Amino acid sequence: MTTIAEKSVLDFCLYPPVGEEDWRYAFASAQVKSLETFMLSKAVLQDMASASSFEEALDLLSASEYSSLQGKNLEQINEALLEKRKQVRSLFLDLAVDDGIAELLEARSDFANLRLALRRKLTENPIGVDYSEDGFVKALEFENVFEQENYSPLPIYMREAIEAAVLAYYQNKDIRQIDYAIDAEHFRYIIAKAIALKDDFLVGLFRMRADLTNIRTMLRLKYREAQELCGFVPGGYVDESVLKHCINLDYDSIRAMFFSTPYYELVEAGVNYLVSDKSFLKIEQQCDEHIGGYLSEGMMVTAGSQPVIAYLLLKESEIRKVRLILTAKKNLLDTKLILDRLGE
Amino acid sequence: MELLGLGNAFALIGGAMAVFLAGAGSAIGIGIAGRSAAGVLTEKPERYGINFIMVVLPGTQGFYGFLGGFLVVQNLGLLDPSYSITLSWQQGLMIFAACLPIAFTGLVSAIHQGKVCAGGIMMAAKRPEMAFKAGVVYAVMVEVYAILGLLVTLFMLNSVDWAALKEAAIAVGN
Repeated sequence: MTTIAEKSVLDFCLYPPVGEEDWRYAFASAQVKSLETFMLSKAVLQDMASASSFEEALDLLSASEYSSLQGKNLEQINEALLEKRKQVRSLFLDLAVDDGIAELLEARSDFANLRLALRRKLTENPIGVDYSEDGFVKALEFENVFEQENYSPLPIYMREAIEAAVLAYYQNKDIRQIDYAIDAEHFRYIIAKAIALKDDFLVGLFRMRADLTNIRTMLRLKYREAQELCGFVPGGYVDESVLKHCINLDYDSIRAMFFSTPYYELVEAGVNYLVSDKSFLKIEQQCDEHIGGYLSEGMMVTAGSQPVIAYLLLKESEIRKVRLILTAKKNLLDTKLILDRLGE
Repeated sequence: MELLGLGNAFALIGGAMAVFLAGAGSAIGIGIAGRSAAGVLTEKPERYGINFIMVVLPGTQGFYGFLGGFLVVQNLGLLDPSYSITLSWQQGLMIFAACLPIAFTGLVSAIHQGKVCAGGIMMAAKRPEMAFKAGVVYAVMVEVYAILGLLVTLFMLNSVDWAALKEAAIAVGN
């Protein structure tokens, strides 16, 4: 029998297996399932997107846990939403029984900070002080490390990422190479760590995310008719060579290439929209929806790390959607455009 | 009062196993359901009533085990200083075997009932109207197998002629 790390894209129908129950998470799972009932429904988000004005969209949140946003301007709302996200992450850290899982999700902020700092360092800009405090490495420590160019206080995976990014950048002095290298190292680290933690849900989530990232990269490279085939991340279920091959195919053949994979429907919808509207909006929305579907499967597990992780990510996604709709409404964006992005 | 012979030892081990295993199962089951209830109550304290029923349900197996153990101890005359039964090793083994059904069905069913109750508690957090229809009823379906185990234990214990053993014990002055 193949392990979760060895599974291929043909070993599952729509989503990878979510893993077994873990009764150490009985309390945490019950708490997040209660909290899930306070989350916004699709109908509310749809009504917000269809609202005639920013104020009307905001009014629709009055009966929800976002009621405190009433009467605030967009800047204050953004701050309040960031604070809300911070609270959700803090709750997650309290509920995560395995420290490794918490570290793994904190690494997202570490890699985001690293990307910012490296871009500034390599382009000889000031390192700055605006780093996220949510990471494993605190913002102040981050500034000091890069100011003094002494990377030894950083964890090994971050030092490896710095080395890879610096090497990639100096090969052709292209700033985008930093992002590509950091993304690749990030995926390599989180997948390896999830496998080491024996957390099937996280392995499935990260490998699927790698696939979705690669599919979007492939479509972007195809659309740009790029010569240099870079930006793919390791660890996905779909082999990189298949994706690179797709770039040389026409759009109809790209759909056919994904026919036997769980990503067929999202690729089809995304490609159709790209061809008709010359926009990546649909593929972005479809990828979010696919991840959301997997997280909802995780929420079904009675007790385990799955519901806790899924709640964190679904709640972060909800906060992002509220922010997106309110910003779009404030800037008088077309309702159809917002609905297309939300997929509601 | 003095315990005599291998038979009595077998019977007492059986009684102890019934109490210990079924009780341990109940403790684990209540632990699981209780943690889930505490998680829900953190956000929804108004669910206390229905959650309480589902938390205590896995506790019944412990009582069944206790009942099995108590009947063994009582019938052996350990609670009555006026007599004490002496069993042959074959009779002791019979009583030992009689205790096993409730010991093991109690252990396994209580743990699984705790998990069913935990699921019911979490479901009731989202769908309170289904709490009894699904949560409690499903848990009771697990309970059925513990009750069957208890019934078989009681039938098997009743198959021993305790009255004759008691008379014999009194006659020889034990």
